[in-house]
Parts: sequence; C-alpha cells; structure tokens
Amino acid sequence: MSNRDLSMLTPKELARIERDIARKHIGKFPWLAVTAGIGAFLCWLALWPLVFMDVIPAWAGFVAATVLAIIGYLPSHEAQHDIIARPGSRLRWLNEVVGHVSTVPLALPFDLARATHREHHLHTNHPELDPDYGSSAAGPLKAIWTAIQNIQPRSKGGHNAYSRTLLRLGRKDVLKGAALYRATWFLTLFTLAWTGHAIEAAALWWLPHHVGYVYIQYYLSWAPHHPANETARYRNTRSFRAALGNIGSLGMQYHVVHHLHPRIPFLRTPQAYWEMKPVLEAQGARVEDL
Amino acid sequence: MAIALRTLFRFGPLIFAFGFLAPLIAQIIEALEVTPPFGLAPLTVGLVLAGVLGLAAQLRGRWV
Repeated sequence: MSNRDLSMLTPKELARIERDIARKHIGKFPWLAVTAGIGAFLCWLALWPLVFMDVIPAWAGFVAATVLAIIGYLPSHEAQHDIIARPGSRLRWLNEVVGHVSTVPLALPFDLARATHREHHLHTNHPELDPDYGSSAAGPLKAIWTAIQNIQPRSKGGHNAYSRTLLRLGRKDVLKGAALYRATWFLTLFTLAWTGHAIEAAALWWLPHHVGYVYIQYYLSWAPHHPANETARYRNTRSFRAALGNIGSLGMQYHVVHHLHPRIPFLRTPQAYWEMKPVLEAQGARVEDL
Repeated sequence: MAIALRTLFRFGPLIFAFGFLAPLIAQIIEALEVTPPFGLAPLTVGLVLAGVLGLAAQLRGRWV
C-alpha cells in the first residue's frame, strides 16, 4: 500500500481500497473480547468475598475493581456494535451476555449504552444530537473536570444527555430499564451500607463506577474527537498519541478506524489503521499525530 | 413504579446521602478509630455530615 501512488485516485476509489482493507479484519470472532468481558465480570465478583473476608484490603479491591470496570467497557463496546454476533445469528445470546455482564462493575446498563452509542456514531460532534458531545473541552485538564461535572445529578452531559437522547428517539423502554437498573444499583449500595459494608461497597462498586466513568469519558469521548468541531466522516475523529500509550488509552489511539468501520474488532484496529493510513491521509482524515 | 423512580431521582442527592454516605462516614470513623467530638456516636456524625453534603448537592444539583 505504501508504495502505491494514491494521489491520482478519486475519493470513491480510495473508499473502495479502504473497504477492502476493512473487510479483511471484519468477521473474525473476537475470542479475547468474549473472554475478557466474562472474565472481568467474574474477577470483579471474586473481589467481593476476597475483600469481605479480609484476604485483600479494601484499597487493593478498589484498584482492581476500577481496572476491571474500565476494561469491561471494551467487550461491551464490541457487543454494542454486534461484533461478537449479529442479530438473528446462532451466537447472538453470547453477544448479549457479554454486553450486559461486562458493564456491571461500571453499573452501566447495556441497552442504554448501545442505544446512545449508536447515536454518537450517527451524529459525532453534533452539539445537539451527539449524546457524548458534553465531554468536549479545551484541553486535557478541562476534559477531566468536564467529565467529573458530567456525572453530577443535574449536569447537561452524561446520563442526563443520554436520557434526552432516548426521549428524542422515543426509546422510553430503554430509559425505564436504565432508571430501574440505576435504582437497583442504589438500593444494593444502601443495603450493603446499612448492613455494615459501606467501605467495601464504596471500594468495589461506587468509586470504580465514578473513576471508570471519568476515565472512559476522557479516553473514549474526549481524546479521539478533540476538538470536536467537525462532523464530516473523515474529520470527526482522529488518531492520536496517548500519554498512557495504546493500552492505557484503551486502544483509542486508532479510534478513527473504529468510526469509519465500526465492525472491525477492537484488537484488529491498530493493524487496520497502519494498513489504511495512506488511504486515510489521501481522504483528508485526521491521522497526522500517529 | 414510575412515580417511585421519579421521586428517587428527584431527591437523589438527599436519598443517597442518608442511604449511603451516612453509614459510609460512620464506618470510616470506626475503621480509623477516631473519637468524634462532644461524645457523638459515629453514626450521628455520619448523618449530620452526609445531611449537609446531601442538602448542598440537592440544592446545587452537583456534589462538586
């Protein structure tokens, strides 16, 4: 690819080359995402008896639960895009199981995440229609502060933006399900707290939920779309070099490929990116940083 | 059900303060073996502190 002169090709011809590369990576069963999704959930469950029985201290449980909550979002993200199994296929149940269980440590309802994430893809960076637009900010520190503000009760972004999106889409069923999910989460925390396990509940679920939300907003919403002022297909997402590397940024350095071809499994996006990069450059994509 | 959920979220900060923060503060005080002033019980301190924080969050719409 790198030896080929792309400057003479039309956008349509470039798009065809891009699609051919994408096709090589689509359709592979994401075993690691399935294993990681279910594994992260089971590891998080295992933390409860370990902390309750003082096998590990609460602070260590907090660190582990936070990492698991953040990691768990990625398999759920694969499920949101039907990458594990398409609707109507034999393994569809597995797609749904992974989607639902992997975000339990984050206390994030899968149906809400799926419905709003699709809107994010459809309307990336649109101030009114992109439910994640509220995470945009002038710089990294402001992005962290904005993410913290987005998890406040009456914020404009975060869950309140998701509620507005679901109402606009007429998805009251998803909204009711999400409200019930959140109420159940609160009641579980209250029950644990008033039965003498508030510190454990805070360490294993409440704090990981908040830290995880901020981390995910930063690396999945803010960083790949910054400065979030363009909505065109090749301009609304960028590749970037993350201070915490590709693993620390949850693989988001190559997010531009995900937005262009959402059905490429997460772990194949770096390879797809490097294969596609000359084409993306020719298409005017924001790939100059990586 | 819908009314119960709406009420829960409308008064979310206050409900959260008394439902979770109050016992959390009390249990942190006990775990740190701190003696509260004026002979107050850890749970009383938890209820007062959580109540103040929860009321502020309820009125401002944000915790921080």
